[in-house]
Amino acid sequence: MFKYKKYTNYPINICKKDLKMAKYLITQFGGSNGELAAALRYFSQKFNMPDDYGKALLNDIATEELSHCEMIATMVHQLTKDASAKEMEEAGLGGYYAEHGKGTYPTDANGVPFTVTYFAVTGDALADILEDMAAEQKARAVYENLIDLTQDEEVLRVLLFLRQREIVHFNRFKELYEYYKKKGLE
Amino acid sequence: MLFEDNSFDINMSMFMPDVKLFNRDSNILEPMEGFLRGNMFKDLYKPYKNLTYFKLNPKTEREKMLYKIMALSFAINDLNLYLDLHPDNKEAFDLFKKYVEEKRTLSKEYDKVYGPLSVTKTTGSKFNWINSPWPWDDFGGGLYV
Repeated sequence: MFKYKKYTNYPINICKKDLKMAKYLITQFGGSNGELAAALRYFSQKFNMPDDYGKALLNDIATEELSHCEMIATMVHQLTKDASAKEMEEAGLGGYYAEHGKGTYPTDANGVPFTVTYFAVTGDALADILEDMAAEQKARAVYENLIDLTQDEEVLRVLLFLRQREIVHFNRFKELYEYYKKKGLE
Repeated sequence: MLFEDNSFDINMSMFMPDVKLFNRDSNILEPMEGFLRGNMFKDLYKPYKNLTYFKLNPKTEREKMLYKIMALSFAINDLNLYLDLHPDNKEAFDLFKKYVEEKRTLSKEYDKVYGPLSVTKTTGSKFNWINSPWPWDDFGGGLYV
């Protein structure tokens, strides 16, 4: 069961149109290391966690990741909403515009649509949690690449916030992994 | 905003939390500080290059109040993840309960003045849950103006 709160996880107020940044940023919505993959990965894996620690952590991080999908989509929406078709085309978003207009569709930075093959559910808690640790590190690395690509402080502040979330999540998954290792899970 | 060189900090008025630091020796930051950083835990905080974090710049009372609620909500969530693996940690659980209570009080006040943040808090004669702003709306730089 989920309850919606009428606010984002962190404030997003982007007034400056930046179509190139939108094109790059959308990968954190629909790319292989993005928030949608993260949300669905932990959401799907949680059903097979062996004890209450794993169930709770995967459940609760999955829920947070869903709010991060909303944040990235919000940023893309605000960065593009005043753009004309021609401007979209000039920024390399002509194909995107043809398919989706000004809608927000989960793709990576090259326009490749989201697919569930970006994540695995193996039924093996340790294997799944190791993937989760790697996923958080990859998402952190992509946030750093995106930070390198922007000068707009209204974009930057949100990316810095989200990058920290990857660090916290990585450390929680690592703790869980080490706990299961110690417990003798193989 | 806290770039180390503070090069474009001119127009950012400081938004200092008026919540007292709970415990200076603690590894857990107070909600507004943790919220701005995106991380409630001192020992887990690792900035990228020389980029740390930005201060918020609320333009209205509404925005200021909402940011406080968002900060508490953030703190509750980050403590939640910690408690998932450390349910016996008394300090974290006490803070968790404290922030839940503070958020409840503040949200109630906000809902009454500005409209509901959760659908079940919709009261009065009209179903104003549907009213803008929705979180992804852009009102020319001030989302909640």
